[in-house]
Formats: sequence, C-alpha cells, structure tokens
Amino acid sequence: MTTARVETRGSQQAQRGPAWLGETLGYLRRNPSMIVGGLLLLTLVLFTGLGRLIVDTNAASPLSAPPAQPPGPDVPLGSDPQGRDILSVMILGTWLTVRTGLVAGALGVAVGSAIGLYAGYVGGRRDKAITWVVDVLLTVPAILLLVMIAAVVQTELTSLGMALIIAALAWRRPARQVRSQMLVIRNAGYIEMARLSGLGPLRIIFGEIVPNLLPFLISSFVTAVSAAILAGVGLEAMGLGPQNEPTLGMTIFWIMELSAFLRGMWWWIVPPLAILVVLFVGLYLVNAGLDELANPRLRRRA
Amino acid sequence: MTLLQVSNLSVDFFTTRQIVHAVRDVSLAVAAGERVGLVGESGSGKTTTALALMRMLKPPGRIVAGSARIGDLDLVGLKGPAIRAARLKTISYIPQGAMNSLSPVLRVREQMLDGLADHGIRLSAREAKARVDDALAGVGLAASVADLFPHQLSGGMKQRVCIAIAMMLDPKIIIADEPTSALDVISQRQVIQTLHMAQKRIGCGMVIIGHDMGLMAQATDRIIVMKDGRIVEDAPTRRLFAAPQHAYSAELIESVPTLGSRPSRPSGERPAAGAPFLELTGVSKTFGGGLLGGDSKQALAPIDLRIDAERPRVIAVVGQSGSGKTTLARIMLGLEPPSEGQFRYRGQDVSQLSVPERARFRREVQAIFQDPYASFNPFYRVDHALLMPLLHLGAAGSRTEAREAMEAACRDVGLNPREVLGRFPHELSGGQRQRLMIARALALKPRLIVADEPVSMVDASLRMTILNNLRALRQEHAISVVYITHDLATAYQVSDEVIVLYDGRLVEAGAPERVIEKPQHAYTRALVSAIPWPDPDRNWPLVEPDRASWNQPAVVQPGATCLG
Repeated sequence: MTTARVETRGSQQAQRGPAWLGETLGYLRRNPSMIVGGLLLLTLVLFTGLGRLIVDTNAASPLSAPPAQPPGPDVPLGSDPQGRDILSVMILGTWLTVRTGLVAGALGVAVGSAIGLYAGYVGGRRDKAITWVVDVLLTVPAILLLVMIAAVVQTELTSLGMALIIAALAWRRPARQVRSQMLVIRNAGYIEMARLSGLGPLRIIFGEIVPNLLPFLISSFVTAVSAAILAGVGLEAMGLGPQNEPTLGMTIFWIMELSAFLRGMWWWIVPPLAILVVLFVGLYLVNAGLDELANPRLRRRA
Repeated sequence: MTLLQVSNLSVDFFTTRQIVHAVRDVSLAVAAGERVGLVGESGSGKTTTALALMRMLKPPGRIVAGSARIGDLDLVGLKGPAIRAARLKTISYIPQGAMNSLSPVLRVREQMLDGLADHGIRLSAREAKARVDDALAGVGLAASVADLFPHQLSGGMKQRVCIAIAMMLDPKIIIADEPTSALDVISQRQVIQTLHMAQKRIGCGMVIIGHDMGLMAQATDRIIVMKDGRIVEDAPTRRLFAAPQHAYSAELIESVPTLGSRPSRPSGERPAAGAPFLELTGVSKTFGGGLLGGDSKQALAPIDLRIDAERPRVIAVVGQSGSGKTTLARIMLGLEPPSEGQFRYRGQDVSQLSVPERARFRREVQAIFQDPYASFNPFYRVDHALLMPLLHLGAAGSRTEAREAMEAACRDVGLNPREVLGRFPHELSGGQRQRLMIARALALKPRLIVADEPVSMVDASLRMTILNNLRALRQEHAISVVYITHDLATAYQVSDEVIVLYDGRLVEAGAPERVIEKPQHAYTRALVSAIPWPDPDRNWPLVEPDRASWNQPAVVQPGATCLG
C-alpha cells in the first residue's frame, strides 16, 4: 500500500541511532499499562523479598502466635485462630504462590513450545498426530483433571508438587499457539534462505525462528503464569493444596473453613484478597502492555 | 471539456514521529472520455491521491489543502452522507488487488446490486436482473456469472466484475488503481480492453494508476508522472514516450525493455565434455494424492533439462502463475524432491549426495527469491544473511575471510559495503535488499543461480539495475542464471534462451530471437501478442484467446537447454 510505505520510510529515519533504549522508552510511552502493571508487581516482589529479610517467617506456622488476635503491637496484622502470624503468612504465602505460578508457567511454556516447535517444523503426519492429541486435551476442563490428580496425591503435597500438577496441563495452549506461529514463520523466505545456506534443522529452529518468536513467548509466559496462579489458588481454596504450607490459596481455604466471615476477622480476610487482586491486576496490565509486542498486527510502527 | 479539476491538492500523514507530506500541491484535469495514467513508484503518492479524491483516506492521513471539482461539486468539501452519495454515482474507484475486494460469501449479483440499494434505487426483480445482465455484458462477461460466488471466478473475471460494479451508476470519473497487478499478461490485456470498452459506453473520464510504463503506453491518452508526492510531468502519452521532459520520466521509460533492442551477445560456445553440471531426466512433480492427501495435482509434467557449467547462459523460464515454473526452480535448488525422474548434479543423484558433496552442491547452486524483504530474517542485521552461507558451507575459512568475501560481493553488485552492511533489513530499500541477495549468492562463487521473479517486487526504475546485475553474473563471473519470470519483456531482454511453460508442461524453448520474435506455439503467440510494449502507436486488439490450441505439442529448437 502506497501510504503505508511513506509512513515506514519516515519512521526508518527516526529509528537510527541508539536503538534499544529509545525503542524501549517509546514502547513504554505508547503502552502505559505496562508501567502500572510493572510497578504493582514490583511492590509485591519488594513486599515478599524484603519482608523475608525483616520478619521471621517461622511465625507463619500454627501455634507461633496467640490465636485470633486483631492487629496489635505483637502481631502487626493480627493472627488466625490456629495461631499463625498473618504478616508472616502473607510474606511467605505470596512467595510460595508466585513461585508455584512461575514454575508451572515456565514448565508449561517450555514443554509446550518444544512440542509446538517440533510439530510445526516437521509437519506432515507427525504434526497431525500431535495436533490431534493437543486438540482433544484442550477440550478437557482443566479443573476436573486437576481436582482428580490433586485429590489422589494430596497427603504429601508441597507447593512445588502443586506446580508440577498444574504444569501437567499448562503446556497445551502454548503448544497449539507456538505451532501456528511456527507454520507462519516456516514459510518465510529467510527460512528457505537458511536452508540454502546449509543450516541444519536445529540451527534453523533456534537461530532463525525462535528469536522471532521471543516477543510471543514472553507474552505467552506471562499468560501461563497468571493462569497457573489462578489454577493453584482455585485448587487450594477447595482444600486440595499443600496442607502444611501457608500459601495464599490455603489461607483462603482456612478463612472459609474456620468461618472468618462469621467471626468478623477482617484482618485475616483482607490481606490475602488484596495481594491476589494486586497480583492479578499487575499481571493483566503487564500482559496487556506486551500485546503490541506479541501481536504483529497491533505493532504501531509510525 | 474538463470533468475533474484537481487544484493544489496536498495530503499529510500526521504520524507520531513526524508529518509526512505524501501528496504535495497536485493539480490535474481529466476530460470526458479521456484516459489518464498516474505513474510513479511505490511511495510516490499516486494511491494516496486517488484515496483523497474518493475521500477514503484513513487517519493519520488528512487533506490539508486544495480542491477537487467535478462540475459544481467540490469533493474535498463534502461531509458525511454527501460523501457516500458521491461515491459510485459521481466518482468510483476500482481498488488495488480488486480480486480480494469481493465478499466471498455473497453471489456476484448481490454485490453488484449493493451499490444501487445504497443510493436509494429500488428495482423490481426483473429490472434488477436486466441491469446486472447489462453491466456484465458491458465488461464481456456472461449473464450466468451473476449467480456465481467470487471463488468460482478466475482473477481476470473477478477484476472485470469489479469494473462492472464501479460502472453500475454510470459515474463521471473512474479511478482504477493498478487494475492488472497480479494478473498474467493475457488476462491483463483483456482487463485493459474491458476498461476501454466500458469507458466508451458511458463516456466517463478515467484515471489509471500503475507503475508499468509498457502497459501505460497501451492504455492511456495522457500520462502524469509522480515522484515523492509531486507531479513531475504531465504530457500526452505519445509525446511523453517520444520526448520525456523530466529526467525521472526518461528513467522510467528507459527501464522498460522494447522489442528488437536486445543487446547482441557473444556466441562462442564450447561443446560440453563429461557429466553435465545439472541434469534433469523426466523430472515431474505431483502434489497431494496418496491415502490421505486428497486430490493430486500435477504441478510439473516430465521435463528434461541439462545445464553445463562450461557454457554459462541466462535461461529464462516463462509462464503464468500455476505454470510450474516455481516448482521447477525448487526442484533445481534441491528444496523439493522430484516425484518422478532423476535430478543429477555432476552425474550424481542429488538425493544421494554425501554431506560434503551436498555442501558443494549448495555452494554451486544458489537462489534469489521474489520478495527481497522476506529473504532477510528481521531479527538480524543483513550481514547475518550474507555470512551464514559463507561460514556454514565452508566457502570461507575464517570470519575475517568471510567478511572480506562479503564486502567484495557487495562491491560487485554496485553497493557500498559501508552503506549497507550492519543495517537491519527494514532500513534498506527493496532494490538494495535484492542486490544484497545477489551479493549473498555471488560471494559463494556459485556456478548457477536460480532467480525466482527477482524484480517483480522492486520499483520499476530499479529493475534494470538488478537485471543488469544478473547479466553481469554470466558475463563477468561465468555463472549460469535461471531467470524465472512471468514477464516476457524482461526475459527477452536478459536471456540467452527462453523456456515457456504452460499448465506444468513445456510449450516452447529456444533462443529469445526465435521464441519471442517468431513464436511457433499457439500459447507463446498469445503471450507475446499480449506483452504491453512501450509503444503508444501499437495496435493492441482484444482477441479472446483460443485456449484449446494451447495444448498442441511443444516446440523445441535445436541446441536448447531443455530437451523436450
């Protein structure tokens, strides 16, 4: 299109010079939601990171504080009926919950991308078989499978075990998406050029294709992390989580189990909810900000 | 009588970084019954001018000055519903790539009547049918086409339906934006003739936007040349071709090859000894088929071909889309195994080459693709694409050696290495990118380069430079070139030999003097007569092609690379 060429020509002039910094700043200026989301997540990281240095997280176990106390000088955020210090629970729980999300998200994206890259690159019958399996699995409601798995292994469950259970299903969507991205890129002229330049399949996938998928993979990772946290909190709230670890989801389970609402223990109810809200809003905003990077159609060049 | 009078029209694009002056101070007039060509390379503002007249500019584009009058109506001053009322009735537009402008889910009839309904014209079923039949007849299509869906029509037919739609309300001005891009020469001629016929019938003024000077010579009365948003020349077609006033017009005209102007070339050819460099014996390709593959389609009928490295030549493979020319290229590059027959490289079957032999095959047989932008990985600087083959195919011992070879190759294709290397592909022009691709192949010191439509996506003024680069490959570096194209005019200009393919079959092969100046085969004759040479006085009559005669057996001249 004639007009579009004029615009890109103009912007090419402006893009020269120290590209990366200028481009990043320009990107942030166009996508302010990224900054807000980033700040929210940074607050949580500081809260749990610094908190663990300052506050004794052993107080997050039961019987370490006087039970069911409202906030006071000994227990800054109060305590729950089983004698956990809420502040310690929040500091440790945020870390455990986020770690579950990061591990499950990373595993899901890594395994899913590997499957997607393989299927998309080899094509043909193997691609058809893999895609068929992924498609069938995609129709299975995740929560159903998770409840079943979690119920079976529940007794000895740790938060890392949770992450593995969630990761067992988190790879499906990245696999499907990476495969379709792969199909688009595989037919690009530069892939043919790489083949004519004597590159083998591994070098083509990791040297030529993956770099172009990076923005997409980053965004995919953020989505997977927030989906994994959501799944984890959901399972834990049902009581299917690690019984001996004070994750945010388990806290919600105990809130419901021990009738915190009836007993008016607001200091127990508000903090985990506030942290979850900040966490999800932050992840959502960051992902919305990454959208332009991951979705070439939204990329504003002018 | 002046119908359309555009005065001092300017269009700016207010982008976030700067204001781009896409159209500056453009004034032009179109009379009734006149055909005006608007010519210039991409980015020259010709489409933007047309969109501004149609009031179809999208933000951030805006008309900042000027007027465009048709009678008493100022198109620039129109607002809201008045714009819609003017479209189609007063001024209508046949968009670029009109074949994609039809809705895939509606029958042709419904799409033709859409515009009428929008202009408040209520017709009975009988009247509507008569109107549609008339309009289709006006573009040389049968009335039965109205009941078909777009996917059931060929590209040329879709383009003619778009013309019929644009003419439904007998507009005063029709703007056709690159009406024949993506069409083969035979359909191209039909579409242009259809435009002429339809225009004569309703007596409107017509603006044809394009970049192909040959086509413009045959299609227009007057040509307006645009460059960087300005009009640089506005002259009757005959005068423009006889005596262009502006240097840029002259450059555009010179870039078009003409019949009989072929440079002579040396004919001293040594007989080949030993195994030929590349040999195709009964090679064919069928896609699909098999148990789960669906319908099979033969893309290439068995063909014999032999290329000797000792006898470098430029071999043009000509055919329209679907003729099997790209399949042939991919087989020769070893990207696609032949379904049947044997493809041998220096006497050895290519599918059974050992690893070092395969690297040597890759070094000696290289490629240039159609889209110079897609050929570069956008993630890397352009150096990556040039260094990769040098390092991986063992053509250069060390990185420094590779770098030297790369820079030498850039100079060989007329690029300054310091200007182009170290840049990202989007920072270079299409012409620079395509020449870098030639440099990439050249740096490997190959014996054969397969160039698949290397100039079809490059601006007209740069085409000759790139084709001359290809010619220099043969003359200065003794490299054979297989030049795949649908453009007979450039094939005639650069090749030592022409191979014409039709529907996957070999149709004619031989020296261009014979194949293009005195074609023997009915299909080649149809192709050659449809080439738009830049000669305004040439009679270019509309002949409905006799497709049945195209199935006659192939004509192969003695001494051709292709063995029939």
